Amino acid sequence: MSKRIVVDPITRIEGHLRIEADIENGKIKDAYSSGTMVRLLEEILQGRDPRDAWAFVGRVCGVCTSIHSLTSVRCVEDALDITIPPNAELVRNIMFCTQYIHDHVVHFYHLHAMDWVDVVNALKADPKKTSELAQSISHWPKSSPGYFSDIQTRIKKFVASGQLGIFSNGYWGHKAYKLPAEVNLIGLAHYLEALEWQKEIVKVHAIFGGKNPHPNYLVGGMACAINLDDVSMINAERLAYVGQLLQDGKDFVEQVYIPDLMAIASFYKDWGAIGGGLGNYLVYGDLPTNGYRDPSSYKFPGGAILNKDVSKIYDVDLRKDDEVQEFITHSWYEYAGGDDKGLHPWKGESKVKYSGPKPPFDHLDTDKKYSYLKTPRWKGHAMEVGPLARVLVGYGRGRPEFKEVVDKALKDLNVPITALFSTLGRTAARGLESSLTAQWGLDFYNQLLTNIKAGDTRMAEMSKFDPATWPKSAFGVGHTEAPRGALAHWINIQDEKIANYQLVVPTTWNASPRDSKGGMSAYEAALIDTPVADETQPLEILRTIHSFDPCMACSVHLYDEEGKTISRVSVLGD
Amino acid sequence: MKRNKGTLILGIGNYLMGDEGIGVHIANLLEKEQLPAGVDVLDGGTGGFYLLEYFEIYEHIILVDATLDGNAPGTIRLIKPRFAADFPPAMSTHDIGLKDLVSALQVLGKMPEIDLFVVSIESVQQQGIELTAKIASVVPDIINEIKCLLHLNDEILAEPPFGNMIAMP
Repeated sequence: MSKRIVVDPITRIEGHLRIEADIENGKIKDAYSSGTMVRLLEEILQGRDPRDAWAFVGRVCGVCTSIHSLTSVRCVEDALDITIPPNAELVRNIMFCTQYIHDHVVHFYHLHAMDWVDVVNALKADPKKTSELAQSISHWPKSSPGYFSDIQTRIKKFVASGQLGIFSNGYWGHKAYKLPAEVNLIGLAHYLEALEWQKEIVKVHAIFGGKNPHPNYLVGGMACAINLDDVSMINAERLAYVGQLLQDGKDFVEQVYIPDLMAIASFYKDWGAIGGGLGNYLVYGDLPTNGYRDPSSYKFPGGAILNKDVSKIYDVDLRKDDEVQEFITHSWYEYAGGDDKGLHPWKGESKVKYSGPKPPFDHLDTDKKYSYLKTPRWKGHAMEVGPLARVLVGYGRGRPEFKEVVDKALKDLNVPITALFSTLGRTAARGLESSLTAQWGLDFYNQLLTNIKAGDTRMAEMSKFDPATWPKSAFGVGHTEAPRGALAHWINIQDEKIANYQLVVPTTWNASPRDSKGGMSAYEAALIDTPVADETQPLEILRTIHSFDPCMACSVHLYDEEGKTISRVSVLGD
Repeated sequence: MKRNKGTLILGIGNYLMGDEGIGVHIANLLEKEQLPAGVDVLDGGTGGFYLLEYFEIYEHIILVDATLDGNAPGTIRLIKPRFAADFPPAMSTHDIGLKDLVSALQVLGKMPEIDLFVVSIESVQQQGIELTAKIASVVPDIINEIKCLLHLNDEILAEPPFGNMIAMP
């Protein structure tokens, strides 16, 4: 008889994701992923001015705030046929790259690393040996024995105070932790360094977006006027500061994040064969170098991969009725035309109909509807989105920059290319694309400076900002690659107002429930066959789910219950 | 990093989730008021770690947030949290981000003085950007409490000597 383990909620930061997994002989036999909060942003947006939508969607979540605003202005610009000036594209790209390295570093150190790094064990490390190890893997200057010794003293004092705080939720001492104490100490030290670093890099958003969190966007461009000599605008001093922040960001990624990632990964190579899942990958693409309307110019190329075959990349068309569709067979919604058909987002509906058990409950009824997430499919296929998908599509498209970083990582770790289709691969891909975006951010910055020096300071195209210039009816789609994966918004504008607005977010692709044919989505599929050594401490489940970087606040909203333990685990069944 | 700023009134919450966004509503209202020099207001939204900088540069943070603590909706409480564990048991949806932030400040040894106003709400099940009537009715009380904390009500000036400027206590 199998046992069912419930992990709820699973994210360390926001939102509510519930995983139910059936264990047999120490491995996961079946898994169900449920979003237990409902998001109804679509209803809030109906009837509003499309030019304001970015400000509302930016509030969906505090982590990926700017990326929703970006997608929103793009869908409106698409509907109204607005082409933004090159500088606005560059500023959006710079903010995109900033978001990536911030988000990925924070995810790695503050959310995911604790699945691999045993903080308590780090207190046993020899600072001198730690220093030698640190200096052998990186030129990062903070690596003396005294530095590591100080870190240990600080954490010991903190632990002695009885307030474990951020460290109170780990399964410390779990036998699946395999790092030597010295590597654990490096991970812990850089956890603290990354905390300080992350607050600097986000200043790029405050400079170009006027404020952070929730920076400003603008339909038609960006709302940051450039004048090199004006103190109240983006001037020479502000631009120089952005350049410094981007350089510091690149240094941190190259000298701290990547060396740590590779050092930690080298002790967990077995995870290169665990957590693979679907083998289907979807990327919309982003970072235009010749305008958003020229997808061939994107630094992140779009495309789809089926059955792990990276030799064949399929093109993706977000406008086609039969490509991206959302199903609700297992979701707490109802469609006017019946729950059995999929709807393209331009025809999307978001009418909630909860039919699950009354909380608090032990089990969801997973044979029926069991999630507030809809189930998106591409041409009927379940798809994984995110860093791994992007890196594989870039690799499969033969882009040299992707080939270079991927081949080097595989060589350094001495693992075959098949190791990419795994929990380890997902975690490594996040690091690899961080090193790419850290460089690209600087490239875009230099291009922006070149344009400004050549006299081009245009930042917005406002000729179609006035609703009087709009058609009576317009449809648009805007896409990006959020740090967590492919993101698109579809809008229908009627008589100058939003008639329908649908978001299909990355975590919906990955964390959705089964489709009408019983097919699993990415989280569920990735958990199958994952070993669980101790079912009261299902660290292995967290490793795989966290490797996707879940952001449930992006996918589902509302509904909360008492109890804020980070991963409340109960072993049920028997 | 030096603490070179005075007081920050920081409203936290998700503006899209009804009463859960009370902190943001308060910040938006206070931003329109004439506050004394050295008192700033920020709509922190669901900022999480993004907000670390503010906790490091301000001497004093006045947080305003919603809570699901089981008290009657509209109950306003003032808490002086020293640890993440001092926060109410069920802060709203972004609570883990905020608690992580406070824990992080402790580890870094950089806790400012924090006053936390928590406003009890009934649920975060509602959708929309409007407050319920009950929570909307206590908005003036919350603003008044914040002003009391800052001693802004100590001296009600019948005839402001310098236009709209409010005398500092």
